[in-house]
Amino acid sequence: MNREGGRRLYRLLLSLAPRRIRHRHADEMEAMFLDALADAHGTRQTAAVWVAALLDLLRARLHDTVRRRPSIPGIPAERRAFMIGTDFRYTVRWLGRQKLSTSLVVGMLAVGMAANIVVFSLVNGLFLRPFPFRDPGRLVDVNERAPRWNLEVVGINYPDFHQWRQANHAFEGLAIYDAGSFNLADHRGADRIEGASVTYDFPAVLGITPILGRTFTPDEDRPKGPPVVVIGEALWKERFGGKADAIGRTLKLNGVVHTVIGVVPWTAEFPGKVRLWVPFAGDPNQTWQSYGYAGIGRLKPGISVSDAEKDLLRTQQPIWDARDKDHIVSPYARPLHEEFVRDYRSTASTLLTAVALLLFVACANVASVMLARALARRREMGIRLAVGASRLRLARQLFVENIVLATLGGIAGLVLGRWALRLLLASAGDQVPAWASFGLDGRIVAFSIALSAATAFLFGWAPALHAIRGNLRGAMSGRSAGTTGGPGGRRTLSILVAAEFALAALLLVCGGLLLRAYDRVQHVDPGFRMDHVLTFALALPEASYGDEDDKDNKKIMAFWDRLIQRLSATPGATSVGLVSCPPLTCHWGTFFDIEGRVPLAPGQANPVTLFRPASRGYFQTMGIRLKTGRFFEEADGRNENRVIIVNETFVKTFWPGVVDPVGRRIRGNGPKSPWMTVVGMVGDVKHYGLERPMRPGVYVPLVQTPNRTMSVVIRTAGDPAAFTSTARALVREMDPDLAMYRVQTMEEALRKSLSQRALYSWLLAVFAGMALVLALGGTYGVTSYLVSQRTRELGIRVALGARRRDIITTVMRGGLVVVAAGAALGVTASLGAARLLAEQLFGVPSYDARVLSIAIAILVATALVANWLPALRAARIDPMRSLRAE
Amino acid sequence: MLKTPWYYILVALAANDRHGQGIARDVLTLSGRGVRLWPAMLYGALEDLSDRGWIEEIDERTGRPVNESERRKYYRITRAGRKVVAAETQRLADLVRLARSRIKPRTGESS
Repeated sequence: MNREGGRRLYRLLLSLAPRRIRHRHADEMEAMFLDALADAHGTRQTAAVWVAALLDLLRARLHDTVRRRPSIPGIPAERRAFMIGTDFRYTVRWLGRQKLSTSLVVGMLAVGMAANIVVFSLVNGLFLRPFPFRDPGRLVDVNERAPRWNLEVVGINYPDFHQWRQANHAFEGLAIYDAGSFNLADHRGADRIEGASVTYDFPAVLGITPILGRTFTPDEDRPKGPPVVVIGEALWKERFGGKADAIGRTLKLNGVVHTVIGVVPWTAEFPGKVRLWVPFAGDPNQTWQSYGYAGIGRLKPGISVSDAEKDLLRTQQPIWDARDKDHIVSPYARPLHEEFVRDYRSTASTLLTAVALLLFVACANVASVMLARALARRREMGIRLAVGASRLRLARQLFVENIVLATLGGIAGLVLGRWALRLLLASAGDQVPAWASFGLDGRIVAFSIALSAATAFLFGWAPALHAIRGNLRGAMSGRSAGTTGGPGGRRTLSILVAAEFALAALLLVCGGLLLRAYDRVQHVDPGFRMDHVLTFALALPEASYGDEDDKDNKKIMAFWDRLIQRLSATPGATSVGLVSCPPLTCHWGTFFDIEGRVPLAPGQANPVTLFRPASRGYFQTMGIRLKTGRFFEEADGRNENRVIIVNETFVKTFWPGVVDPVGRRIRGNGPKSPWMTVVGMVGDVKHYGLERPMRPGVYVPLVQTPNRTMSVVIRTAGDPAAFTSTARALVREMDPDLAMYRVQTMEEALRKSLSQRALYSWLLAVFAGMALVLALGGTYGVTSYLVSQRTRELGIRVALGARRRDIITTVMRGGLVVVAAGAALGVTASLGAARLLAEQLFGVPSYDARVLSIAIAILVATALVANWLPALRAARIDPMRSLRAE
Repeated sequence: MLKTPWYYILVALAANDRHGQGIARDVLTLSGRGVRLWPAMLYGALEDLSDRGWIEEIDERTGRPVNESERRKYYRITRAGRKVVAAETQRLADLVRLARSRIKPRTGESS
């Protein structure tokens, strides 16, 4: 490049330099550069000079911007390149001046964002945050299913597990566990503690290292192994004061003295609220064992879950060949996390959608407030345009305002949201799974920031668009406030108000439907009398009640009989019964050989039957209705007199069309099982919850199947909860080592079973209420603004003879048309949305008349209030004052 | 503490009034071709120094302070500028003395 070319190029580059330097020194700078260029020899040096000169110019530019020196006279401040700082200061000053509307806007945003942050925190805690275990992505839930028996999960059988553990190639480790509760007795009395039997590799699979001592060895995990126990940190602190000498000390569990060999941290307390672990001690050689254990595996790196499942199916082949020729039971694997969040998934997505809509309402609201303000500032904007501000520059100013507002709203929302979340979790109680934690983490912070940005964009577009499109001449000539902010602005305002009402209507209808469904669920007939019933469970330990030679379980029955006798004799108890699983608690499923049943179609699933040993007094105590036949009698279940009571669903399922099943026979699933005769049919009890369908169910007399773990149900004369201490004292007197657990009144149990539904139905209703309040505020604000802009026009009308009523009608009509359009749209959309909710609606149709009419009434009332007040104010306009005002 | 380019400029002007390009050449020489002042930096610095009153612009011919938009500007160090450069020189000298007292120069191997 020749000298002239270099000069020209540098001249061009000079435009990069700060104006104040370029302005006065361009020629000299050019000369200097040419000097340096002349000094350079060869291509490399020349290039170096060019690069250095370019960097020099850029550096000066940056330097100048950063310093933000007072501007050179004659150059408008508007022209500076980076003005964010100025914009920011201007914004803060401007917002500070408008304290009321600023706090209104920030408050509305905070409410919308807080709701989102609460729900996101819940979702994050449940779905996104990993388990507190090493490499949680490689943990899988392993179990077995029996599709032909209509069982998605049957639980694992120990010999099957043993086979997989030996033959699999996909897992680094594979373990099974059986959660249960243990009687823990010491000098202070008995306690019921959640615990689990686990195979020795369980800690290794989860990646748990003990904080003290060790975990199990394979030698301890076999039949008749030594009684050892690993305890959790919580139990360690509680029972041993967190001292190191806990190792080697003993705990009496289920009547057997166990030696403590290790302590694991609280993060390892899996599954659920488990606080101690004992060896599983399974016997792989005894092939006919029950199913029902849970499995967990750690995949080898790089192995997918589906590969692991294929590997399990391969290892199952010998078992199928040997003792399950029909392939009834087959193993499966799925991500562990999935298994634990299943119940929450649809609830979570509903709530996420609802809060997103709420945020939209808040944003529409803020947008309308901001737009109204922007329209009110048209003159300011017009003047700034006139003195040379670019439209981009004005848009940027508004953009900074939006960012500042969104950030303030985000911060306030985060604070408010965290607070609300704490409140919510406190009230949700044990609905929340133990492994979930809802602390502030990076994801929530990132979500909040993203939310703020999205919000700024959502409410920022309308004002910014109008600022850019603003017509200079219109803005200046519209000097007087006699007209509204132009048809464009007014139209946008109307759209925003309509959108707000549409979304509020949508939330309102969906919330109403969910509440209606909740109400309907609450009114489902449970099939028993819920009031004045106390239940608690007792588990008689094998050590003291299960002698090997006690073939008839005399000890167990003796205890139960004495318990019923003594409780019945206690004042305050009107009747007493025992059952293996009272409603809303556990499940004990079996399959029966049913005489004269309708044969299964090929491939049809065999329904599982709920099996319940129960004492004679159980039916009366619970108020279960007898349909035909009779309840149990004293002689039932004794001396080969085997009887059974079935429920209505059982009869409908297996003997369809049969009215009176008494006399028919049923036996256990095996040719050697003795037949049992049906003596009665009872009404269905909603065993699995009010909203779940009932399965076929049967009762057998307790003597016929003496069970060590039973629940006691007591109908009391007074407050059932108050009877707890009496019962406790009696149980302690009978056996001080026994612990009462799952102590609850039936009403409490029902409330708990519905609490998740209650929680989200109410949450959605609250969100709907919030959306409505926001819509009310937004509409009121917009109408007031429009009225204030029309003061002159309305004044003229009054002066020309318009009556008050005419004015009110004029103003109201404008507002109501917009609201009605929005609400109609929202209600229509909600009909569609309710179809998506169908799963949670418990049969409430989306067009439920009561909900729709109430929702519409509320919307109309809201709209009337929002428009009435501004209309009233408009009607009071004094024509003289309004005409002189400008 | 003075920015290094500013110090060079003030030192260059301490001996003689110079125009911008002259300052750059002088600094290049003074620093043994080690320091080259680039145009934007030099003129930016000259503006800053003028604003602070450490140098002033003068007319090439009359030697008097100039008005706006003269074609070629010479710069003269002011009394304040001389004080600044003296103070900075003193500070640097003190620093050097301090450093010398602690860090033994590794010249001449011990016998």
